[in-house]
Amino acid sequence: MAELPPVTEEEFGRLCEFLYRRTGMIFTEAKRYYVERRVHDRMEATRATSFASYFARLRSDLDGEIEQFVNAFTVNETYFFREDHQLRCLTTDLLKRRIAVKPRNEAVRIWSMPCSTGEEPYSIAVWMLENWAEVDAWDIEIIGSDIDTRVLEAAREGLYGQRALMRLTPDLIEKYFEPAPGDRWRILQDLRDSVRFTTANVMEAAETAAHGRFDVIFCRNMLIYFDDTSRRVAAENLFESLLPGGYICLGHTESMSRISPLFEVCRYADAIVYQRPLGGARG
Amino acid sequence: MRTPSSINGLWGVRVADTASRRILVVDDASLVRMYYRNALERAGYEVDEALNGLEALEKLLVRAPDLLIVDVNMPKMDGFTFLRALRRQEGDVAATPAMITSTEAKTEDFEAAQSAGANFYLVKPIPQETLIDYVAMLCGPAR
Repeated sequence: MAELPPVTEEEFGRLCEFLYRRTGMIFTEAKRYYVERRVHDRMEATRATSFASYFARLRSDLDGEIEQFVNAFTVNETYFFREDHQLRCLTTDLLKRRIAVKPRNEAVRIWSMPCSTGEEPYSIAVWMLENWAEVDAWDIEIIGSDIDTRVLEAAREGLYGQRALMRLTPDLIEKYFEPAPGDRWRILQDLRDSVRFTTANVMEAAETAAHGRFDVIFCRNMLIYFDDTSRRVAAENLFESLLPGGYICLGHTESMSRISPLFEVCRYADAIVYQRPLGGARG
Repeated sequence: MRTPSSINGLWGVRVADTASRRILVVDDASLVRMYYRNALERAGYEVDEALNGLEALEKLLVRAPDLLIVDVNMPKMDGFTFLRALRRQEGDVAATPAMITSTEAKTEDFEAAQSAGANFYLVKPIPQETLIDYVAMLCGPAR
């Protein structure tokens, strides 16, 4: 097969502009090689012979090409119990405060967004089983969402390699996973049933709103891919997705204070998190 | 040392004196089932699960467990309806000991459970050690 021509500067610019408008993700010249690799992958898959013909297909979203393209783009690497200090914060501080103001018949709702291949929402479930004394006394809803439909399929499957489990003790692995072919582990059915996976784009207010409001949102290492404008839109959508008094946990390098004035900073023993003020009204 | 059967006799609950005790956990919340399963299996019990009363009835009629742990609020068939249906069955299965688990601690809830045929009522949240203590009381130690 003939080698595909390199993407020109002008083409790269148009592509980034398009990607930004549709997903909020921003790619700079530094990511050029990375972008080009994926464009070529998709060109091959769709048998496009030029960038122009591929881009036409992308813009017209032929056969769901936008989704395919986004799927090829998102970086999905994570592992169980990543940033476990936030999980500790969840059970020692956040949930304690949430159930203090919550009617017993309302579910405790937790959103993992983006959830990638499911490590985070399943970690939340395992952590709560191990560390939250109220786990059987509340209706608990854990939802994992991602823009990438391919990772959601994997998340529902719940199959993981050794790498993803590196932070789990053998005791926990034995308790919550079953061995699967190919040196892998599959998370148990009851845990798979305890997490619901959905497609959601944080830039689309209608999509986030459709998920209802949450007590705690884990949104780690996503906003770093956005520029300032997209970050603000995402932050506002996430704010609206929180119940008054609800919390959002970001990645350790991220800070909501620099993005949006809507949230209050809460410094707990194990983590810094951001809260939608209990009053709830936007200033 | 007391044998399991004498302990059972002490509490007036009749169970087969088999090597291992089987417990059917009936709860629609998968995390709750998993939480109880973990505690019970660690203590040496065999565990089976049902998502609601209807499924529990189907499982019971195939093979009766030594104890039922039953949630109250479930879709399709709630815990009380299930217990009433169970107690109307023919044969030994109707006498299967049953523990109700509920977040409600009001007297009328205890009474409703009792009249539905519950042997015991535990208010959630239930620490795992507490669960095991009462399970052992109702159906004997694991082995």
